[in-house]
Amino acid sequence: MQESTRYQPKDVAGKLALGFLHNPLTMLLGIFLLVIGYISLEIMPREEDPQIAVAGGTIIVPMPGATPREVENIIVNPLERKIREIKGVEHVYGIAMNNVGVVNVMYFIGEDREKANLNLYDKVMQNMDMLPKGTMKPIVKPFDVDIDIPIMAITFYKKEGAKISDPELFKIVREIQQDLNRIENVSKTEIKGGRKEQYNIQIDLGKLSGYHLSLGQIVQAIQALAVDVPDVKGRTQDGKLVIFGVKNAIESVRDVESLIVAQYQGSPIYLKNIASVTAGSDIQNFKSVAISERHQNGFEALKPAVTLTLGKLAGANAVTIANEVKERMEAYKPQLEKAGVGFTITRDYGKRANDAVNELVDHILITIVIISVMLIFFLGWKESLIVTFTVPAILAITLFIAYLSGQTINRITLFAFLLSLGLLVDAAIIVIENIHRHLHSHDAVDKDMDTIMVEATDEIGAPTNIATLAIILTMVPMAFVGGMMGQFMKPIPANVPVALVASLVVAYIFTPYLGRRLLKKPHMHHHQHHWQKDGTKAQGGAE
Amino acid sequence: MKRFEQFIFNILGSKRKQWTVILLTLLALAGSVMMLPTKIVLAKMLPGKSANTFSIYVNAPTQASIEETRKISECVVSLLQKEPEVTDIEVYLGQGAPLDYAGLVKGSAFKNSENVAEIVVNLTDKHEREEPSFMMVHRLRPTIKANCEAIKEGTVIQMVEQPAGPPTLAAVVAEIYGDNYASTYALSQKVAEIFKKTEGLADVDVMADDPYKKYELIPNADKIARSGLSVEQVNKILYLAFEGMVVAHKNSRNYPDQIGLFVRLSDTTRRLHDQSIASLQSKLASLKLMNQKGMLVPMNEVVTIKEVDASPTLMQKDLRRMINVTAETDLVSQVYPLLDAREKIMTELADQYEITTTDYLFNLRLKDKKSGEVFDLKWDGEMKVTLDTFRDLGAAFIAALILIFLLLVVYYKNFTISGIVLAGSFLSIIGVIIGHWVADLVTEHTFFLTATSLIGFIALMGISSRNSLLLVDFAKSLMEEKGFDKQHAIAIASATRAKPIMLTAIAIILGSALLASDPIFGGLGVALISGTVAAVIVSLIFIPVLMYRSKAMDFDKNREQNA
Repeated sequence: MQESTRYQPKDVAGKLALGFLHNPLTMLLGIFLLVIGYISLEIMPREEDPQIAVAGGTIIVPMPGATPREVENIIVNPLERKIREIKGVEHVYGIAMNNVGVVNVMYFIGEDREKANLNLYDKVMQNMDMLPKGTMKPIVKPFDVDIDIPIMAITFYKKEGAKISDPELFKIVREIQQDLNRIENVSKTEIKGGRKEQYNIQIDLGKLSGYHLSLGQIVQAIQALAVDVPDVKGRTQDGKLVIFGVKNAIESVRDVESLIVAQYQGSPIYLKNIASVTAGSDIQNFKSVAISERHQNGFEALKPAVTLTLGKLAGANAVTIANEVKERMEAYKPQLEKAGVGFTITRDYGKRANDAVNELVDHILITIVIISVMLIFFLGWKESLIVTFTVPAILAITLFIAYLSGQTINRITLFAFLLSLGLLVDAAIIVIENIHRHLHSHDAVDKDMDTIMVEATDEIGAPTNIATLAIILTMVPMAFVGGMMGQFMKPIPANVPVALVASLVVAYIFTPYLGRRLLKKPHMHHHQHHWQKDGTKAQGGAE
Repeated sequence: MKRFEQFIFNILGSKRKQWTVILLTLLALAGSVMMLPTKIVLAKMLPGKSANTFSIYVNAPTQASIEETRKISECVVSLLQKEPEVTDIEVYLGQGAPLDYAGLVKGSAFKNSENVAEIVVNLTDKHEREEPSFMMVHRLRPTIKANCEAIKEGTVIQMVEQPAGPPTLAAVVAEIYGDNYASTYALSQKVAEIFKKTEGLADVDVMADDPYKKYELIPNADKIARSGLSVEQVNKILYLAFEGMVVAHKNSRNYPDQIGLFVRLSDTTRRLHDQSIASLQSKLASLKLMNQKGMLVPMNEVVTIKEVDASPTLMQKDLRRMINVTAETDLVSQVYPLLDAREKIMTELADQYEITTTDYLFNLRLKDKKSGEVFDLKWDGEMKVTLDTFRDLGAAFIAALILIFLLLVVYYKNFTISGIVLAGSFLSIIGVIIGHWVADLVTEHTFFLTATSLIGFIALMGISSRNSLLLVDFAKSLMEEKGFDKQHAIAIASATRAKPIMLTAIAIILGSALLASDPIFGGLGVALISGTVAAVIVSLIFIPVLMYRSKAMDFDKNREQNA
């Protein structure tokens, strides 16, 4: 220790180098950094696109029978004026359609979502008294990007020759929906293209006139039959309960068919006489889903399908949810096979997020290898090894801090890491190059290793600090870029400075430490720095 | 190293050589900056992103039926089925596909009508596919539009790609504000026509209901009252007959939803013969209503049928009526087609409208010469986001410059030296622009200067200032501590610092090499690589010249004087 105190470091760089040079904890610290970095990489939630905090919502006010112009005047305009009273609203979009008025509200990007949603709801509720007569209760739907954008979509279809009906397919998907919704962090699940079971009573207009009937009569007759009443509690004389209830008269299609709708010349007219009654699916629903898939020999024709979509909670890991879903779907396979139902995963953001992260890890590894090979040529393999170690250590610190600050690994965080990758080896390169230069300089003979290490680190400390600070400063204004793009880029100003500071600290601590253990003074006693010798000697004076 | 030292020493020794270096640098700067306005290097917010999926939106005219929409969608699907890289296709008729980032802002979630469909196309993995998805969309677009849009006149088919950055309504959006719907609609049609003629724009759509005819049934109150009926009854029966209604429910033990009892006229008796007023008249004649006395009254007795224009949906933005005209760009940046289209609007519509420019972003104000009505045309969509982003990044860049300068002033306590370092970092722009030009030459499709390039450039500022910093520091210490004269000190410093400067530069170049091949971060990669090359040259040759020429670097003389 005495020896190393001979040189008094002026800069924080030298002080760090000196402090950690002989500290037994340095090695442990290094290992610890790598471990927490790896753990962070594994447990940090992964998703493809970053979460953009978009605050806003939709207000829907139905008013049956109103024309667009009426809706505009009595619903949209007053509502819009009220919305303008809210602070932080950027744009208000009004849509006046037949029967309904819709107002979309967009807050400025970056407004607090919870507060904004509450304000919006408040404003609508406060002005309920201003709603014109004949309007139905307004519906306020806040945007929720995380919940609204599904991370997975599974499309189910009937296999060729399967006898399953559309409502039965829907029923199976409903059951699976219930099951998948149990997975942790799965939020909104939705079914598209589902066909509900329905009894279709299709009345023949000709027969209706023939029997001298009106549509209204038939509706009344049906409604009279389909009544559900709660059970009745009767009591015996000694105070005991007897429970009895009226059974819903409609149990099957046949019950509907044999409904007597009227009497015609003394004989009853059954519903089946004037209408076809079928147990089918909702024929009035014009929405449908179809899928066409590639098989060995080309595409199959479009076949009706049902798509189940799954959203996730904010901050949840898309990858683990996707894996869990796939596992459960795999378990369903035999059961679905038996029913004649096939399925295809038509959206998998979990896989996309995972691919993106893995690609980055590959990129980083390749880049580290390339840089270390380059350094072997210029500096020597030991020096190269030292620099190579610093990269994962720096990334580990950055990842860990990103994890602590609640970020997720997504495309843009990766972008930030990739951006810093080229920058963060610099500090270590500069330190190791200076150590290398000092070791090979003329006065190296007279100095002990510790002094050389600390001095070399200390010498370039000040300019390197300033330069790194300069790079950090260039990143800071980026945090103030507004709009959606600003939100999108947030991970860059958030992570690059951290990586750069980490690169400095790691370079000052570990480079001299590892240098002290790996590097040796060259066996050459009279080497001098080239500018102190004449040209010819310098050329030939290499080791 | 010795040779390089000699080289710098020689340059510093001759005034003419110094001026040559300065002139060459300025020429390079001017030349590279000129590449932007001359469109040699094109700017765009974010380049296309190769994804494993894309969507196709089918927008049939407002009055199209689901059968017609289905026919159009099937046509699109049949064309897609010929593509070897497509793995599966999902058609969502009458509704939006499961929401994605693009759909979020394009109103996919609100789609609920017979004239719309969304088709999701999944492709093989992008790593195993040669053609990026945006090239595929570019190739398929004309075929699909030519074949399928003709099925129903007025259909617009839009090819929707996954956005590389934040999603926008469309690449180019012209918001046309006007108080009168009919004249605003007419103007938006004209703008749409101009968009269609503009090279580089595709999928032009006017986001408004297409005008169509409808029949209005006017209830004859007098007759209704005298026949013992009510208007409500008329409405209800009409709806029941043609649309149908769930009139009752049945709960079911073994089915997750209630089972509805749906009543409607049978398909054969419900359908009209044709779209004429007469066939509606005759259908209504056979539809009868029962009055309180149990007598049947034919529907056509109590209503009069009139043909009217359907009232279109009205859109407002910020309390003003507005119609959006949207267009996507086909592989090109939206900036240049937009400027083209704006130029055309100003010349072609000049005979009908008085056109003046307004406040921000190329916005226009059009005044109808005959009626005196005033319309506003505002640009929105990706264009606005691009301009806003570039403006903000530009501001961020200037802020970064100022911050670095202040930092250097604090460190050196000298304005000139800080200025030299700053000048050196700014000059990396030469490399950035030339790098993009070269990248554009060697790649098949246009290589744009994007927002990520700008981020790369901003990061470069710091990197190249580091080079100059190390140089200045070393030269300073050589003069102060080792007693070299200025010319020698600077030459030696350049030669000694050349190695770490080169090493860090090579590290950055190698580190960014993988980035350069990425479609989105390519701009960043190219900016870093070429900018670093420029920064190295600048800091090793140009900065020494500036250092030598500036009095602030006279540390040797100071020393002598002090001594």
